[in-house]
Amino acid sequence: MPAILVLDDSATMVMSLSRVLKNAGYEVETAGNGKEGMTKLAAGLKPSLILTDLNMPQMDGIAFIKEARKNASTRFTPIIVLTTESGGQKRDEARVAGASAWLTKPTEPNELLSTLKQLLPK
Amino acid sequence: MQFTTEASDNLVCVLLAAQVAELRDRIDGGATVELLWRTSDVLSQLSGLVLALAKRCNDSELNEQCDAAVAAEAEISRSLESLAFEQAQRNDFTCQTVDCVVTALERLADTDGPTANRLSPDDLAALYVSEEQRKVHDAATRRFAMVAASGPNGTENPRRQGPGE
Repeated sequence: MPAILVLDDSATMVMSLSRVLKNAGYEVETAGNGKEGMTKLAAGLKPSLILTDLNMPQMDGIAFIKEARKNASTRFTPIIVLTTESGGQKRDEARVAGASAWLTKPTEPNELLSTLKQLLPK
Repeated sequence: MQFTTEASDNLVCVLLAAQVAELRDRIDGGATVELLWRTSDVLSQLSGLVLALAKRCNDSELNEQCDAAVAAEAEISRSLESLAFEQAQRNDFTCQTVDCVVTALERLADTDGPTANRLSPDDLAALYVSEEQRKVHDAATRRFAMVAASGPNGTENPRRQGPGE
């Protein structure tokens, strides 16, 4: 069962995403910001995919993606950005940092799951 | 309590920031989202019970009705989960917009440093987290410019005229 690491500073969003992913059969690990996410990766967590918000305290999504790409175990792990931002500049920054896909909130569970399936290793 | 005009202005910003932050916490509490999840969970439990009871019953007509009810429950649960997911994201968007207002008010109330009590439209725009906020900003700026260009009776504002005119 693939494990997904979810990063979002909103507790409701974390619970909501976890619920959608668990109902679809995925294992879920969560973090409230990029720093917490990096701590979990450093502790040995090897997610099959990472789903991250952009605007978070302590370490935002783009800084997290840059750090995750330096980490040997997540260098090639698919990373989806799920954010309220739809601006081209932020999207470009995320792409350059190493994001694999971008979804703008509000998105539907089916769209999220379909993007996940496309990116998860077969 | 008596305050100077400046201190009173700062206090108003602090108070507004606190009030809006309180509102944010209520939104993030997500009572609607939790109610939708609970409803979905209870429906799933009831559906399981209907299936279990149907297995003990030899009435084929009742079994068909149970199967139909379970199928309908699955469809409704999917819709509830989808609605909860969308609502959680809308709450998140609202909270981030509110955060922007709180941060702006806190900066206006901040009396320390060279930029004390100052916040330009560009400073405010730097806090935005969505295109929707930027569109609202642009529309409000245009409206403001139109009003500023007109005098009290719709005539051009004399302050916009060049020096010596």
